[in-house]
Amino acid sequence: MATTRRDFLTMVGGAAAAGMVSAPAVARAQAKKGVPTDPVKIGVVAIRAGIAAPVGTAGLRGTEWWADRVNKAGGILGRKVQLVVEEESNPKDTVERYRKLVLQEKVDVVLGGISTGVTLALGTVAEDLATPWLSWDGTTQKGVEETMPNPKWAFKSVDNEVEAIVAGMLTPKYFKGIKTVAGIGNDYSYGHDCWQSYQAVLKRYIPDVKFVLELFPKLGVTDFTSHIAAIQQSKADLLMCSFWSGDATIIMKQAAAVGLFKAMKGVFTTAGGVHDSLKKDFTPEGLLLGYNTMYFDDPKGSPLLKQFVREYKAKYNEYPPYECDHAYFNAESYKAAVEKAYTSAQEWPSKAQVVKALEGIEVESLSGRRGWREDHVQMCNFYQGLTTHKNAYDFATINPIEVVSTKQAMKPAGAKLFDWINSWKI
Amino acid sequence: MTQHVVSVLMSGIFHASILFLVSAGLQVVFGVQKIFNLACGSFYALGAYVGVSAVQAYAAAGGPPAFFIVPLVLGGLLIGIVGVVVERGLLRFVYDRDETFQLLLTFALVLMLEDAIRLTWGTSPLSTGGMYLVYGQVRILGAAVPVYNLIVIAASLAIAVGIGALLTRTAFGRIIRAAAGNREMAEALGVDLRRLYAVVFTLGTALGTIGGALVIPATAAMSEMGIELIVEAFAVVVIGGLGSMRGAFVGALVVGVLRAVAISVYPELEMLLIYLIVIAVLVLRPRGLFGAAATAT
Amino acid sequence: MTGRLGLAVAVAVVAAVPSVAPTYHVLLMLPFMAYAVVLLGLNLLFGYTGLVSFGHALFIGIGASTGAFLTSNFGVRSLEAIVLTAALLGAVVAAPVATLCVRYVKIYFGMLTLAFGMVFYTFVLKFYRLTGGDEGTPYLRPSLLGFGLEGIPKTDYLTGPYYYYSLGVLVLAAAVMWRIVRSPFGLCLKTIRDNPAKAETLGIGVGRYRWYAFMISAVYASVGGALLGAPIGNVDPTLAYWTHSGNIVFMTLLGGFASFFGPILGAFVFIYLEDILKSLAPSYWRLIFGALLAAIVIFAPGGLMGLVRRARPLRAT
Repeated sequence: MATTRRDFLTMVGGAAAAGMVSAPAVARAQAKKGVPTDPVKIGVVAIRAGIAAPVGTAGLRGTEWWADRVNKAGGILGRKVQLVVEEESNPKDTVERYRKLVLQEKVDVVLGGISTGVTLALGTVAEDLATPWLSWDGTTQKGVEETMPNPKWAFKSVDNEVEAIVAGMLTPKYFKGIKTVAGIGNDYSYGHDCWQSYQAVLKRYIPDVKFVLELFPKLGVTDFTSHIAAIQQSKADLLMCSFWSGDATIIMKQAAAVGLFKAMKGVFTTAGGVHDSLKKDFTPEGLLLGYNTMYFDDPKGSPLLKQFVREYKAKYNEYPPYECDHAYFNAESYKAAVEKAYTSAQEWPSKAQVVKALEGIEVESLSGRRGWREDHVQMCNFYQGLTTHKNAYDFATINPIEVVSTKQAMKPAGAKLFDWINSWKI
Repeated sequence: MTQHVVSVLMSGIFHASILFLVSAGLQVVFGVQKIFNLACGSFYALGAYVGVSAVQAYAAAGGPPAFFIVPLVLGGLLIGIVGVVVERGLLRFVYDRDETFQLLLTFALVLMLEDAIRLTWGTSPLSTGGMYLVYGQVRILGAAVPVYNLIVIAASLAIAVGIGALLTRTAFGRIIRAAAGNREMAEALGVDLRRLYAVVFTLGTALGTIGGALVIPATAAMSEMGIELIVEAFAVVVIGGLGSMRGAFVGALVVGVLRAVAISVYPELEMLLIYLIVIAVLVLRPRGLFGAAATAT
Repeated sequence: MTGRLGLAVAVAVVAAVPSVAPTYHVLLMLPFMAYAVVLLGLNLLFGYTGLVSFGHALFIGIGASTGAFLTSNFGVRSLEAIVLTAALLGAVVAAPVATLCVRYVKIYFGMLTLAFGMVFYTFVLKFYRLTGGDEGTPYLRPSLLGFGLEGIPKTDYLTGPYYYYSLGVLVLAAAVMWRIVRSPFGLCLKTIRDNPAKAETLGIGVGRYRWYAFMISAVYASVGGALLGAPIGNVDPTLAYWTHSGNIVFMTLLGGFASFFGPILGAFVFIYLEDILKSLAPSYWRLIFGALLAAIVIFAPGGLMGLVRRARPLRAT
């Protein structure tokens, strides 16, 4: 049996060389030639506290699920996976923990990173320490522009503003006759970037659209009654909101209490992050809702996704948000890259070889196939759709579901965002 | 136009009601014990999480939604008992120490409560779902106002009046004011300070936990919500004057309403406006609107 | 004499660390040294003048931001220029803040300083076009005594030349502070701390002396901030958040505010303890730290140095 499997692996390895790796069914492999027997240490930085804590928790859970799965199937090239987890907090402390992972714990790779303030610092440190770093959700952008266009070791998440761009593309498709738009987002880079990008995209489709109000409450605010009053007064046709944590739930609830969306249309670019808290009681149908890269109830979802959702719900009594997909993808792409590099190196690959193998790779993640672009930025699909109550849950889901790829919605490597948007042929 | 003004005002007053409860907790403790409790935000958070759990348990047990406010308030009130534990277990050891040590002890509390809350309830935002909307809305001069908000405002007002009555009309209230004015004299006159401190601190804690519980149906319980709130509560007590209940009331109104107006008229400013006022107060009238003269030297 | 010898040994040990310790631990010494400088200043205010500031992270933020802005926006890489500018800016900001704050003592002083710290934090966060907001500003590798040192990997730079530079700054800062507290000025501060009314009658302008103490502590905090920022590589507003101010007061208390070297010990113990706990108890290290702070406040307010003193009561200071 082992021989057949190894032949199969070699065959798969060959296919991997062409840049495609299918879902590997690695059986109980023997110790492979040139592969150490001790576990491979994988560092993870995950947020544990504060408003982004649920995102960090989801990412960590996704990584742990991946690790359990891989270890049950024999590990990576026969080596068990050992996760070493540190906390992502503020940039200073996270940089120190990152250094500990690489220098003291001697991990082969670091996964994680969500907040752009932190990942901007981690980017340069990752390059200094010559160890691959795969970020879940953090970029090295300053605003909407890239600061590290040619990284050697750092792998970044999709550009921050992609989901706002997708929402901007879908708005004219689903909402006709929009003349005035109000926007609300958190008062930090993500909120500003989303608003700017959404405006730029919408203007291409609806040239004389007017943006009548923009509100940027501080991250962590829990009361939006005043903001909603201002939004009502603006009498905008549509509200665009880029909240992604508990504040999305709160504003939805408080909006429902005054019937904001009875007349106004709503676009929630990223509220899929807290999708199962958007209860039907206060989340109307007909809002455009974004789930980032993973929609848990995708009818076209793979058996892998279905299994993940089932087991996640059983274990945590929650439905998984998109961060699980980023985390799974990062870990799985690392594994695939190691396996791919092994076929040519015939021994456990060096960090540099792994990095080379990662560039351009595609793997089967929870949400389907996704990969790394040559310049180390994630390539994947974004799921957005109109909210509906026609489901078996007590919270809203989406139907119809739009799937937009980063090929369409993310600026190409080296491009300037607004120049690129303005160059589109509508 | 009136509709909008009413909307803004009502939202400001709603926010002020919550701020008042938390600040009142701060003030009563400071007034009597001269301790600035940095953990008041943490008690607020505790009340919020317990409130959610209470309502969720109630809903799971099949309780009619219309009465959800009962387990909510009870939960918030009962967890106030934590105040006794904190006071007897920690705070009382440092009454004879310098004030700043007391402040540091409350900072230690902030750290401990953060993790304790996270270990108990996890990191996902928790909410009471659609309970908020159970009582519907009313129209006030054309503006839609959720009835729940009115209930909270009324409750907060009732508590304010209750505290006022407690302070001015009961013997206990007299004792509190005496101890706040002159601790040594009060003790010399036979006041059992130890018991008083336990009661006062628990009262302060309960005000915070009730505030948290009351607000939660309208919002959601999130990690580190207490650390955020302390900054706003701080603004309230500076503007109102440290140690003054009237100050908490007026300060909360000022912060709540001004913030609502700023958001409506000049959103750029929002919190910055509040900070500017805090600095202005500190420069021009350091004891705030109703505070006692702050000791210098 | 033994005091001087002990000190020399300590400095020699610290200087030897890069040669013997693992890289990560050498790197941990960098924030230790930076915080040590900050705390020397903070303790002038806390231990010697009796004023506890809950907003000193403001000056750490100013110092770190100075490094970031000079290296990123003005092309100035010299760490000497950065440190001097940080000191200057710290003083400039401290002047009005101190004027307002020293009118008060105890709790009011603590609250006022907390307010100013948070105003700075909010300002930096909000005016992101100017300051970089939550994304911060890069603090590029500074040159040391004119040497660019761009060629060597950042980690080697940090565990080598930068380490010794920081140590040099710390020793210098400590020497200067030693003179300050031993001077008549320092004596006046102690008198003000112990009995302000008496100080006044002795002709010591209490407000004025407190103001000077505040200014000096702000300068030290800014210099510490400038040192703290370089190893991170990116300076952001969280450096000025009020819990950061709380942490440095914690460090001072941990080491012992009644002693000159207490805060330095406090910084060392805090950083290493935090490192160990974050790895051992990732889900509840804050709980343990909070309990530790509570224990110190209640049982050992003199900190570690206080415990040492208690153990040897007959030793003359």
